[in-house]
Amino acid sequence: MPDMPPAVEARSVSKAFPGVIANAGVDLSVARGEVHAILGENGAGKSTLASILAGLYRPDEGEVRVNGEPANFGSPRDALARGVGMVYQHFRLVERFSVAENVLLGDPRQPILLSTRRAEKTVTELGERYGLPVDPRARIGDLSVGEQQRVEIVKMLYRGADVLILDEPTAVLTPQESENLFETVNAMTAEGKSVIFISHKLSEVLAVSHHVTVMRDAHVVARAETASSNRRSLARAMVGRDVDLSVQRAGEAPGEPLLELEALNAAGEGDTVPLRDVSLTVRAGEVVGVAGVSGNGQRSLAEVAAGMRTPSSGRVVVRGVETTGKGPRAARRAGLAYVPEDRLGTGLAPSLSISENLLLTHPRPFFLKRKEMDSTAREAIEQFEIRAPGPDAATRGLSGGNAQKALLARELSDGPEVIIVASPTRGLDVGATQAVREILDKRRRAGCAILLISEDLDEVRSLSDRILVLYEGRIVHETSGEDANVEDLGLAMAGSETGGN
Amino acid sequence: MRIHLERRLEARRGHRALVTVLSVVAALLLGAVFLVLTGRSPIAVYTEMFRAAFLSFFGITDSLAVAIPLILTGLAAAVAFRMQLYNIGAEGQLYVGAIFASWAALALTPGMPNPVAIIIVFVFGALGGGLWILAPAIARAWLGTSEIITTLLLNFVALYLMRYLIYGSASFWRDPTSTNFPQGKPIPEEAFLPVITSTRVHLGLAVALLAAVLLWVLFSRTRFGYDVRVVGDSPGAARYAGISVPRTVIIIMLISGALAGLAGAGEVAGIAHTLDPNGLAVNFGYTGIIVAALARSNPFGVVAVAILLGGLQNAGTALQSIPGGGGVPVEVSYMLQGAILLCALAGELFIRYRLRVRRGLPDELVEDDNRSAVAEGTKP
Repeated sequence: MPDMPPAVEARSVSKAFPGVIANAGVDLSVARGEVHAILGENGAGKSTLASILAGLYRPDEGEVRVNGEPANFGSPRDALARGVGMVYQHFRLVERFSVAENVLLGDPRQPILLSTRRAEKTVTELGERYGLPVDPRARIGDLSVGEQQRVEIVKMLYRGADVLILDEPTAVLTPQESENLFETVNAMTAEGKSVIFISHKLSEVLAVSHHVTVMRDAHVVARAETASSNRRSLARAMVGRDVDLSVQRAGEAPGEPLLELEALNAAGEGDTVPLRDVSLTVRAGEVVGVAGVSGNGQRSLAEVAAGMRTPSSGRVVVRGVETTGKGPRAARRAGLAYVPEDRLGTGLAPSLSISENLLLTHPRPFFLKRKEMDSTAREAIEQFEIRAPGPDAATRGLSGGNAQKALLARELSDGPEVIIVASPTRGLDVGATQAVREILDKRRRAGCAILLISEDLDEVRSLSDRILVLYEGRIVHETSGEDANVEDLGLAMAGSETGGN
Repeated sequence: MRIHLERRLEARRGHRALVTVLSVVAALLLGAVFLVLTGRSPIAVYTEMFRAAFLSFFGITDSLAVAIPLILTGLAAAVAFRMQLYNIGAEGQLYVGAIFASWAALALTPGMPNPVAIIIVFVFGALGGGLWILAPAIARAWLGTSEIITTLLLNFVALYLMRYLIYGSASFWRDPTSTNFPQGKPIPEEAFLPVITSTRVHLGLAVALLAAVLLWVLFSRTRFGYDVRVVGDSPGAARYAGISVPRTVIIIMLISGALAGLAGAGEVAGIAHTLDPNGLAVNFGYTGIIVAALARSNPFGVVAVAILLGGLQNAGTALQSIPGGGGVPVEVSYMLQGAILLCALAGELFIRYRLRVRRGLPDELVEDDNRSAVAEGTKP
């Protein structure tokens, strides 16, 4: 079909928000049956472009075409009527409703009396056809994030989407779930549907897409066939310079033990997994990586080690001082810093300013010293290259990378010798990832003991001197960073007996 | 052509003040409709109200006298709002504060020097208010029980307790000489609050203003105020930082209850000089919630709004008797009060969204999160 018009097209689309130009003369052409990746760092304008295609925003200039015909979408509903649907990063599902009810929600074609039964049947059929297994009667609130994403995709397919836009779909998925998603994507394109895949992860883009459009600072900076691209060329186009994400490991032998966890057992709290007999030691100048699929006790481990939770048995010793269950303040006094995975909401209070957040885990005088806080914040903004309007800006307005830098700035500011970091680069773009890893590496060289808990196996492998695998709250595998073998680690993460040694 | 709501990227400070002012204007316009329907000239009535409330010496001082308890109950509500807690029980805490204060005045202060007696009366008022919120505070802090329900229901308990003490029993508070119509025992003069000569403005005004200043300092300048903001914003971050959430909740609720109790003490020792159930049950507590909402929980805003609403109430009462008022019922002022609150809550929408008129296809209201604009209205 050589002369088929593109399934969806953006022609010199521009969009500005107060103070920010999000898209400047962007062209995009997505053919029928292809996976088209839009690659770019956070803030490059990918999501804005996607939202314009999906009818959420209107372009200030330029136009959108669907199947060669101009499309002037006034709302996402208009876009869906023309077959363009989007799955947002933050799902738009009603937690108390069942899967089928969510699929029906907002569908203008439904009669006044809804038939959930028919929808349930269709949901099951669509699930089978595209590899999206989901129980149509399950309540959304009971589903995992990965399952909820499937519901969002099924919803779009049910509404007749021929072009599906996925905004950072793998950010919330485990590696296995990502694999399944890629299979679904392939099943859809095999039927002639098109998928726009927004990502800042090079490996995914290379694995799943046919074409890639790279954006930077609101402009399209590169367009390529994926088959003729490689990591290096895409990374350079995306960041605008060469990036080095190679392995960093300590050259020297580690020193004395600074963090000792002895035979820790802890009950699971809320939705966290209990810890079972976890012992580990982190020495000065060493990074110990804890790998594992999300939800295998990582959070319990971090919180027990950081003093936020009391274990049922076992000891936590920080620089020779026992801090077991004595609260986060006691752990910090002993020289520990904890950078939680959940930046806004745990690590940072979202509506408080940067200068106020920099005080969160430090001893505070009875009367706050505003001037001092302000100058501390200015220093941190400069030193850690935090892009923010100023010290008084609320942290909720910061991008993921800048929030993480603010968090690191605080946690590293009083020279902790023991640092626990959880998924420190999750959701960060390449540039910020590199910056964060360099910060951690610098601390290691300065003699800190770092416990790196991450679901990103690449990250654990590239930073750790020793790697432990956590599975169902237990350490099931241990290896040195140099000898780490992806297959063994993967098997251990999946709970296979042969993975242990 | 269609009117379209677009989310603002950020709320600007100027907008907030403007919206508050416009809400008052809109409420006056709404009220005007009713006045016209009842055959009165809105301009004449409003002019008269303004004159009665703020333009004469006694008008101003009477407005201030009404504003005193409103400042304190407004602060009580505002303190809790700051932490996303909703103390609806200032009404009951005020009654119990009054009960405690009048007991202290009757039982402890006779023969004491005036300043000491006054301190004792206020301390007991605060104690009473604090005690009345203690159970809701504990239930909220450790069991997660909604303080909205518990504090609200306790209002009725407090109301009937107070009535029982005067009308229903030969209690310590009841004046044994008042056989025809039961009344509270008059408190000794030692416990009277000093007043500005020949007005009803009493020392409670100084207490209320001092409380506003102290709260402002507490919230913006101290460690505890910082902790409160962290807990209110993000309990997860508080736990991470080692800030005790239950402890903060309890302290804040006790402060809130104590402030309402102070209002009760002020009414007893400054105005009625006895425990007067009828005089106290005039919705100071509930109006305080309106005050805090309009003031967006800012302590100084509370003072300003309380004076405005105090003037409105005062004018409402005055209108009935003033010749120029033309027999305007006192309810007009309550109606205006309600209208101001409604308009302010509706105005919240314009802080978060802006109106855009544009041509083309119908649009959906795009919301980035699930919080409704109106529900945000009472939050700080």
